Amino acid sequence: MTREDFRREIGDAFDSISGSSSPALSDRVRAALAEAPEHRGPVWIAALAAAVIAVVLVGVLLVGNPLNRGPLSPGGLGTKSPTPCTPTCPAPLPSPSPNPSAAPSPGFTCVVSPLMTMSQPPQTAFIDAVRTGTHTGYDRITIEFKNGQPQSIQLRPQTGTTFTRDAIGDKVTLSGRYGILVVIKGADAHTSYSGSTDIKTNYPGLLEARQVGDFEGTVQWALGLASSQCYHVYTLDNPTRLVIDLKNS
Amino acid sequence: MIGVVMEQRPQIMARAAGGDAQAFATLIEPLLDPAYRLAAVMLADRSTAEDAVQEASIKAWRKLGQLRGDAGSLRSWFLSIVANECRMVRRQHWWSVTKVAEVRPLQVVGDHFDAASTDLKTALLRLSPGERLPLVLHFYLDLPLEEVARTLGLSPSAAKSRIYRAARKLRSDLTLEEVF
Repeated sequence: MTREDFRREIGDAFDSISGSSSPALSDRVRAALAEAPEHRGPVWIAALAAAVIAVVLVGVLLVGNPLNRGPLSPGGLGTKSPTPCTPTCPAPLPSPSPNPSAAPSPGFTCVVSPLMTMSQPPQTAFIDAVRTGTHTGYDRITIEFKNGQPQSIQLRPQTGTTFTRDAIGDKVTLSGRYGILVVIKGADAHTSYSGSTDIKTNYPGLLEARQVGDFEGTVQWALGLASSQCYHVYTLDNPTRLVIDLKNS
Repeated sequence: MIGVVMEQRPQIMARAAGGDAQAFATLIEPLLDPAYRLAAVMLADRSTAEDAVQEASIKAWRKLGQLRGDAGSLRSWFLSIVANECRMVRRQHWWSVTKVAEVRPLQVVGDHFDAASTDLKTALLRLSPGERLPLVLHFYLDLPLEEVARTLGLSPSAAKSRIYRAARKLRSDLTLEEVF
């Protein structure tokens, strides 16, 4: 076997594994970068650190007991459990969690969320309810799971409200100027869920929520937003819920 | 498009370093396809590979200040971030549970896979990610040995040794001349 033969053979094998990237990958990366905060080095870090310390000090003075507050994670992705949610989220504690309240949701972000993965998810998490509501400063969509958390969740903000329906491949356009695609892996929306798959709310922020995928264990919901693609996302347990607060002012 | 980007790279690089995210997107655009191919082979899942490339792109943007050298170093630097992102994805428990099951068992002769009876694709998937990575970089992405070494953070001789050892796991009778 010559060097060229080996190189060709191994290249073909790699080709069959990888296939081609999606034509949309470049646009997807470009959109994610446009929304990503840049990292500018020590001066920037020092300024941020000083701001964080100042906020913490003010918080301590005003609230008295800051431990009563739920922690937040960078990137707007968190849980209401006592442990902060990093990109790899631990399973929530078994204790009952509070219902989502009408209190203003803290810390919005406007960039693609880190991939939020769950430890010990069920084979498939069944979505059994999707609810929406509006509050001062934010609108909320809650996706409830019947039997535990899905494998992973990611939110992908975008400019515009045109989305490609998974598996079908056609494009749908929702109401609004901005969009967020919610990608839930390890879930299905056809076993337990029988509600609407196109919810038109006409809230100040969230105008429409539409299911754009329920295929091979991946459920996708598209959100059409009026004036901002900034959000705050976290999970609650008993029952397991994905809560997304959308800035509406 | 790629030619234009390569030709204008120093200027685009300067704009990116100045905080222009779209300039950075333009800079890495020609690298997205090799990055995707690297991730797809490392993760054996195309959708997850695209997610990994997206995450790696954001991390690269945030770490741009750490890039040492000129625009010529960009490819190995970016691919090393992609490779790290793939390692992080693979470390997650759910991934190892779901993906290992897809690899079919191999016929093994002695310590090596039998070239005559083993599908090369299966043999590649059977390699550990650490063994697969130098092969992807050198044979699939056609990176020269020095660039493979930079991406892996090794000396050129150590990179060469890794490539050869992994290649011998695919074809036990390969000589050094047949590999390099």
